[in-house]
Amino acid sequence: MPRTTVVESPGCPPLRALTTDILGLVKVVEARARPAGAAKVVETWGAPDASRAIVAASLAGRAADPVLAVARKNGVVELLNPLNGDALAAVKTVQYAPNDSDAEVDPLVTLHLFTRQASDSILGTFIACTDKGKASIRSITKENASSSSDVRPSTTWDVCSGGNVQFCSVDHGESYAMFGGKGIEVNLWDITSYSKIWSAKSPRANSLGIFTRPWFTAGTFLCEDDHRKIVACTNNHQVRLYDTALQRRPAISVDFRESPIKAVAADPNGHDVYIGTGTGDLASFDMRTGKLLGCYIGKCSGSIRSIVRHPELPLIASCGLDSYLRIWDTNTRQLLSAVFLKQHLTAVVLDAYFSIEEPGEMGSKELESSREAEAEVRKEKKKKSKIIEEAEAEAEVRKEKKKKKSKIIAEDEDGSAGEEKKKKKSKAIAEDGDAAAAAAEVQNGKKKKKSKTINEDQEEVGVVDHNDSDGEMYARKERKKKKSRTIEEDEERDSDGEICTPKRRKSGESSKCLKKKSKKQQIA
Amino acid sequence: MAKEKKRKQPPSDAAPPTDGEGEGRRERKGKKPKRAKADVILPSQIKNKDKRSELHAKLKREKKAQKRALARERDQAARRAEELGEQPPERQVPRTIENTREPDETVCRPDDQELFAGNDADEFNAVLKQHITPKVLITTCRFNSGRGPAFIEELMQVIPNSHYVKRGTYELKKIVEYAKNRDFTSLIVVHTNRREPDALLIIGLPDGPTAHFKLSKLILRKDIKNHGNPTSHKPELVLNNFTTRLGHRVGRMMQSLFPQDPNFRGRRVVTFHNQRDYIFFRHHRYIFETKEKKVASKDKKAKASESKTKSEKEVICRLQECGPRFTLKLLTLQHGTFDTKSGEYEWVHKPDMDTSRRRFFL
Repeated sequence: MPRTTVVESPGCPPLRALTTDILGLVKVVEARARPAGAAKVVETWGAPDASRAIVAASLAGRAADPVLAVARKNGVVELLNPLNGDALAAVKTVQYAPNDSDAEVDPLVTLHLFTRQASDSILGTFIACTDKGKASIRSITKENASSSSDVRPSTTWDVCSGGNVQFCSVDHGESYAMFGGKGIEVNLWDITSYSKIWSAKSPRANSLGIFTRPWFTAGTFLCEDDHRKIVACTNNHQVRLYDTALQRRPAISVDFRESPIKAVAADPNGHDVYIGTGTGDLASFDMRTGKLLGCYIGKCSGSIRSIVRHPELPLIASCGLDSYLRIWDTNTRQLLSAVFLKQHLTAVVLDAYFSIEEPGEMGSKELESSREAEAEVRKEKKKKSKIIEEAEAEAEVRKEKKKKKSKIIAEDEDGSAGEEKKKKKSKAIAEDGDAAAAAAEVQNGKKKKKSKTINEDQEEVGVVDHNDSDGEMYARKERKKKKSRTIEEDEERDSDGEICTPKRRKSGESSKCLKKKSKKQQIA
Repeated sequence: MAKEKKRKQPPSDAAPPTDGEGEGRRERKGKKPKRAKADVILPSQIKNKDKRSELHAKLKREKKAQKRALARERDQAARRAEELGEQPPERQVPRTIENTREPDETVCRPDDQELFAGNDADEFNAVLKQHITPKVLITTCRFNSGRGPAFIEELMQVIPNSHYVKRGTYELKKIVEYAKNRDFTSLIVVHTNRREPDALLIIGLPDGPTAHFKLSKLILRKDIKNHGNPTSHKPELVLNNFTTRLGHRVGRMMQSLFPQDPNFRGRRVVTFHNQRDYIFFRHHRYIFETKEKKVASKDKKAKASESKTKSEKEVICRLQECGPRFTLKLLTLQHGTFDTKSGEYEWVHKPDMDTSRRRFFL
């Protein structure tokens, strides 16, 4: 018999996704709990018309009256009801253009609909930006929504003088927005006062003296509670982390494969990002270290235009030019479901409040449990992340003080972590203990040794053995440190039982550090 | 066979390992009755080569005879049905890779309204609706030699309203600009490697997609036996088997190279035949001829004198191949015009897609 391949999909949890495409259609894809697994198209809104192609979409996910905003190619922003597809309002945004021909040259490229509502009378407030960099914030009130004429409160400003804007991203608190594009460096704006508060600086010319023009294709804020960390992706297949509090050049810059990165989304855990490229590669990065966590493999062959992370469930949705909506598990990096939607897709949004309306009790229960599980996982991750950050900080401190900048980053990270800590006292104690220990080490001016097991001790001794002359010295130091370590251990045992896994990482870090040191000494 | 069995049996009883093997075999063929045990000895289990080949030949002969008997039976059944005036039994269809193709949700359906809406919106619509006449620019890679020039010469005879421009040292992006300014609708780049054309790049203009094909099995006109010489009429176009959405798009791209109003007087036909993701290009002239039937000559033997006047006249179609013959395989389909650095792909062939022989993309 012919061998056939099937996707061993574990099935996706109940969710609702809305996709927009180049024919101006909005398609609703739902996966339900009852016939578990398969996601399918349940509704299609709008009539196919290429001139009304949707370029961007944004969903204000609220429990009560959610709104979906879509920006069309002809410059109209429409507000829809994401539950039934009713058009609530339509606004022509490029009306300030002198004539129609000019308006066509300057199409809308990005759109963000604010989640928070200033008052009940306002239907929705959105920020839209055109290709030439004319950004505008408009509010649509409920009374003049039907008239669809011009809207009262609107503000327009120029984001840039030249170049083409390609993305706009608004932070979680919705008071800052960033823009970037072809020939435009990433710049951060305070939306409340419409002032530019930060702009990036392009990296130095490379060893051949070649300077690359900035060309940013996607960007996002890394943390929900921190607008200072920005992840921006370039056309030269780089993922960059900017810390606006620190410097104007990127803190981390990582290359990923060979094709331009077209979409990026941040994970709510505050350090992971998901990126999609022009050849359909999807991957996730840990932006604390800039390490590739893994790629998502699933026969995806077309450019990825949009990635969305589900706010609660551990899954992401991606869509693009191969006209498939794909739903992935972020923990296992497995494809959960793929839906063929017939057109080139431009954007996808996930409705986080869908599951609550699910009639089946089973589904919601499962969902809750999975949510809890997710929450737990996230907690653990946070713990780990904290510990890793500390380890980094320690490593940084242990290094010579040449690299001031990097140290500052680390400290900053530490600080941000500290804010989080206040929520949980027990952890805070642990942190304090660790911090104290770190401080002690700084005073000693020695390397710290973290490993508990004998094996690791031996490893490190082995590392030390490379260095013939200083071997004995090291051994002595280690003995001293062992004493101090016992104290530390006590502290940590007080605070947390499950620290053993991060410990391993820590020890790995410290051993690396040791290697570096030993090299340095050899050079000396 | 019986002898074989007798000889085989005692050692298998004696030696424990072979016994175990026998048991395993019995387990495997557990459904068969016990008396058929002797038949189960496979040639691969016999160590003596002579005996093995003997048994193998025998088995083969049996199999062949069985097959022939089956065929005869089928034949007779069909004949009997014909005599009785019944429906003949259904012919068996051989199972091929194409007809056991994996089910694909992207296959175009004629009742799909979105498909037609998408067609109306795509880049080839203006050409295919005959608002614009296609105008094709043909150029090469920078070093064009070997069979490249000859191939281009023939390609220009195939595609009406095509113009050759020397590549020179221009970048492809510049050439795309140049062609856009001169209202070309498509750009074809023939890429040569080691004096042999090996890739074809077809770019839709002004903003159409860019398709990159691997070109293989190129045979030029002079190497085709009994080839014909094409006329300058507009050819008819045959596009076969472009079934999926991607295939549909590629097919439309091919279609947009040719004018949509063929001169049927020219009796010239260009074929793009897709089979298992390979696109076969052929270029033919055809002619309908009236010819005396062969049956007439048979009659002639019987009735020598009157057959000449009576012989039936039949219209047959004759084909004569002309022009180049080659095979294309799609490697990438890029959104927008040629741009390797910042291009977005609609479809890229990736090695992790090749997990089945029965999945096709076009």
